[in-house]
Amino acid sequence: MSTLINLIISGLATGSIYALVAIGFTLLWQTSQTINFAQGEFVMLPAFFMLAAMNAGFPFWAAILIGMALSMLILGVAFKRMLVDPMLKHGVLPLAIATMALSLAMKESVKQFYSAEAQPFPSLIPSIDLHVLGAVVSTQSLGVLAVGIGAVVALQFLLTRTSVGHQMQATAQNPTTARILGIPVERMIMYSFLINAGLVAIASVLVTPLYLAKFTSGETLGLAAFIAAIVGGFNQVRGAIVGGLLLGVVDNLAATYISTQYRAAVPLMLLIAVILFRPQGLLGSAEERTV
Amino acid sequence: MATEAALELDGVVAGYGQMTILNGTTFKVPASSITTVIGPNGAGKSTVFKTIFGLLKARTGTIRFQGRDITNLSPRALIEAGICYVPQGRNIFPQLSVRHNIELGAVAAGRGLTDMPARIEAALDRFPVLRKKADRQASTLSGGEQKQLEIVRGLLLDPKLVLIDEPSIGLSPLMVQETFAILTELRNKGVAILMIEQNAKSALAMSDFGIVLELGQTRIMDTAEAVLNDPRVAALFLGGSIEPKASGDNAPQVN
Repeated sequence: MSTLINLIISGLATGSIYALVAIGFTLLWQTSQTINFAQGEFVMLPAFFMLAAMNAGFPFWAAILIGMALSMLILGVAFKRMLVDPMLKHGVLPLAIATMALSLAMKESVKQFYSAEAQPFPSLIPSIDLHVLGAVVSTQSLGVLAVGIGAVVALQFLLTRTSVGHQMQATAQNPTTARILGIPVERMIMYSFLINAGLVAIASVLVTPLYLAKFTSGETLGLAAFIAAIVGGFNQVRGAIVGGLLLGVVDNLAATYISTQYRAAVPLMLLIAVILFRPQGLLGSAEERTV
Repeated sequence: MATEAALELDGVVAGYGQMTILNGTTFKVPASSITTVIGPNGAGKSTVFKTIFGLLKARTGTIRFQGRDITNLSPRALIEAGICYVPQGRNIFPQLSVRHNIELGAVAAGRGLTDMPARIEAALDRFPVLRKKADRQASTLSGGEQKQLEIVRGLLLDPKLVLIDEPSIGLSPLMVQETFAILTELRNKGVAILMIEQNAKSALAMSDFGIVLELGQTRIMDTAEAVLNDPRVAALFLGGSIEPKASGDNAPQVN
């Protein structure tokens, strides 16, 4: 029982990171039909920005801010202007393939210009084991969960309670009508890229202390976020949250109770089951889109 | 037409890519009136609206609103100038609540609009169905209710000119009557309305003026009654065409 509690809490912690990355993924899809196959690398890179800032002598907190800012600039503004805008004219598929190329380019660049070795990364939250109801829970798991949930709540507040959030949703649901009402559609799309860049940077700060900073560390994360987004419902931010948390817990339980070797297969089985029996995702709605 | 013009198009040429749809479209929409545009498919009716509302670039020609040149202004600038556009079909945000859908009608006014809550309350008072469902997702509304929502949203900023494209499509006869009643009420308050309708007869019957478009040019521009009784209109809708010469010269006939 105590192991189960422990596994569920640490699963939710990992799941909240998946959720952050998956939310960004669905936001980009909704506002600009971008299926970002480089999303995992988008989580890998900010950690290297932060490491580079620390190597340059900045304290950890300042390095986080610098990493965030660079992330917004490069993974937000530059990504949209230099890759998405020119490629989207040619269609959704060419853009998706371009993001695959970007993912390779990012991995190889980090390997080439930083290091192929895994780099240790400081943790925002000290790791202390707490004894709760007989279970051992690490403060790091709780901290990750708290920051993850905090970010999700803040984002939900923005999207559902503010005028800008409504304008962003309107842009995602019906861009033509949004334009007719004078909603600055282009600016709203840019906001979603900036939010995605912010989310991946937060995910990077949370996940890198656990998995170390390595050029390949985005691979599993990108796949997990992709699965979480599809499981939850590709066109729903709420779906991405549920999908992420569910995947984190399932992943953790599978590793302990099934086998570590088959661990990676379980999320994929979940994905297949959802695609077979509920293709719109757990919370998603069937989408009509004329392409 | 004795009344002062709210909107004037003069020699407007526009189209998509290589294709030219509007071939020097010229007409006037008088203030405080309902003007209905009719014409066969492909005549350029919806294209005129898109061009007026800045969604399609006018290559040449001028569009004036209350005397001011508004050719190729952005939709946002046109909303600020007092024009509202209700396109064909369903133009709602299905996953937002009815209330939030309506609120988005005031985005162009920015923070300058201080009485927004009061305006929304007034709009909901006018349409009890929408008030009843104000907090539900807009996708739960019926077709007619969705159209009402679009109209309410468009009226939030008190436009002086309403461009409305096929408001009756897919609506029950009762809903059509209600929609036309709203438009008449607006006209009586001094708003100019330019409407496209397939249902030419009933639309002209409640209109003040009629415009017949064919091949992107104005063929007839007259009182609604005169258009309704014009034998050439019947011929046009039965597959004939109106030769410009039939009205005596090449220019569109303007009374």
